[in-house]
Amino acid sequence: MLAKLAWRNVFRQRRRTLLTLLTMTGGFVLSSVSIGWMDGSYGSIIMFFTNGSTGQIQVHGRGYLDDPSMYTTIDDYQAVGTALDSVPGVRTWAPRIHAGALLAVRPAGTGAGAVFSNSAAASVTGIDPILEESATGFSSRIVEGEMLAPSAADSSYSAVGRMIVGRQLAIVLEASVGDSLVLLSQAADGGSADRKYVISGIHSTGNADQDRSSCYITLSDAQLLFALEGRVHEIAVMTDNLGIVDGLTDEISALMGERDLDVDSWKTFAREFYNGMKADETQLRITIFIIVLVAAMGVLNTILMMVLERRREFGVMKALGTRPGFIVRMIVLEANIMGVLSVLAGAVISTAVLLYLSRHGLVMDPPIDYGGTVFREMIATINPACYYVPALCVLLTASTVSIPPALKAAHTRAAKTLRTV
Amino acid sequence: MNEDVIVTEGVEKTYEDSGVPVPAVRGIDYRLARGEFTAIIGPSGSGKTTFLNLIAGLDTPTSGKVWLSGRCISDMSGRDLSDFRRDNIGFIFQAYNLLPVLTVEENVEYIMLLQGVPKPERHERVMDILEKVGLAGYRDRRPLRLSGGQQQRVAVARAMVSNPSLVIADEPTANLDSQTSGELLDMMRRLNEETGMTFLFSTHDEIVMERARKVVVLRDGRIDGNADPEDFQ
Repeated sequence: MLAKLAWRNVFRQRRRTLLTLLTMTGGFVLSSVSIGWMDGSYGSIIMFFTNGSTGQIQVHGRGYLDDPSMYTTIDDYQAVGTALDSVPGVRTWAPRIHAGALLAVRPAGTGAGAVFSNSAAASVTGIDPILEESATGFSSRIVEGEMLAPSAADSSYSAVGRMIVGRQLAIVLEASVGDSLVLLSQAADGGSADRKYVISGIHSTGNADQDRSSCYITLSDAQLLFALEGRVHEIAVMTDNLGIVDGLTDEISALMGERDLDVDSWKTFAREFYNGMKADETQLRITIFIIVLVAAMGVLNTILMMVLERRREFGVMKALGTRPGFIVRMIVLEANIMGVLSVLAGAVISTAVLLYLSRHGLVMDPPIDYGGTVFREMIATINPACYYVPALCVLLTASTVSIPPALKAAHTRAAKTLRTV
Repeated sequence: MNEDVIVTEGVEKTYEDSGVPVPAVRGIDYRLARGEFTAIIGPSGSGKTTFLNLIAGLDTPTSGKVWLSGRCISDMSGRDLSDFRRDNIGFIFQAYNLLPVLTVEENVEYIMLLQGVPKPERHERVMDILEKVGLAGYRDRRPLRLSGGQQQRVAVARAMVSNPSLVIADEPTANLDSQTSGELLDMMRRLNEETGMTFLFSTHDEIVMERARKVVVLRDGRIDGNADPEDFQ
């Protein structure tokens, strides 16, 4: 009887119910699409950012992130890499050496005695061309020239080395592919680290700040140059599933056992980027809260109207011996029936919208720059949160806002509302 | 006391209007015997409605006691009173007050549902009472598709179906034409005689007064004696 009464009461004023359903459904769809859109965008941004350079997880010597010292190294990186290969979820990994240096360039075609005309400070990264290519698709960002060759010659200190420089750094140095330059730095053994290089390629990450200071040599070359034989500063770990990163980080950390290493997810080593994401998430939550609040006002208005219109009816029910709890349950159920109908309708509409946005996306014209990373297209995603978050919001809102009017109805004084007995 | 369905002792009800006490019922001592078919009459403002509200447990007296079927309802808690009303009092209202979203059958069985009467018994009792009020063919109709007289018959069926000790009817004919009113009262009188159920009316309508077995006159919140129903015929 309770369900029957509630169901039929919902459809007494069809036009009003329809308007309320539209409000609630609209709230559901807006929330759902916002979540799908933002999750999709965040997912794209994070994957783009981490896949292109940092990886989703990084392994360092203990304390390296806080104090990136030349001497804080991973001494047995091959063994660590082998261990990483055994972890399910790890797609690949890439070892790196980081060091600071001064670069001075001598334009191509000038003689051996020519002056090194331009110089700039640079961040040198030693990469394993094969592993780096597998991890980040490094060569896809070479805009001029060619990728470093993992040849034996690179590890021969007597030969001229090959280097890839960032696009903006090349501009600063007024250098181009084929030009020679000299790298000056200090090695881990305290000696000088200097070597002559030929620019084999120009690299562009899309992040101008990064490209203004970055240059790349082979890992074996860097180990030789900086007296770090067999050692690296960093191992970037790649996975295809962002959702498992936290668990994977813990798993790898446990796997490292007694090695004196730190294992961190991108949320730690790219804290600024992560905090930016969190700030955006907070904005999304505020947006959803406002949407839910608007829908709640609509529901509250409807329930209040329903209760005020039916005061006499509640008086009759009370006079006939209906307990207050029955009336409260009936009104809360009425609100929840509207809530469930809205969730069902909203889920269908949201699925259609999100399917479209996840397949076709939206082209950003002009492209948007997010922390130096440029995005030309944004894609939505469909995940359980697109449904359960708005559904919970709608149903909790419906229940919550219906309780005060329901209590008011339940405490209707029959003698007062009926005027006469 | 068991022979009396209603006993009131010194029942008073005083309202406050802008801080000024307004006595509506002034110490009524009254007894209504089981099986009676009694009308309470009186001018507007005489306290009929307030008195019936007190008897029905819809309002609480300022002082005095009300017993219904031997139980003092003046001291009952809200929940007990609600259950007691459900099980012991049937209501017939001036404006019918059927639940519009329920069918005739569902309206009549509503109280039995609250009482937890099993479905087969509910169905049997609903069909029996609808037969008696002449609406057996209307059980699937919604109230708004019935005439005023038919709606009031449904209200009579709803009031009687759970065999309450007392049926209270407030101005039950106020919205009906005289022919329909007469037919309704004749039907109620017949049901009173068949079932022995006690009826207490509040009315201005002479059609009710002339069919009542007793007529009580209320004036200025006090019982001002009895009238002879034959005087209204």
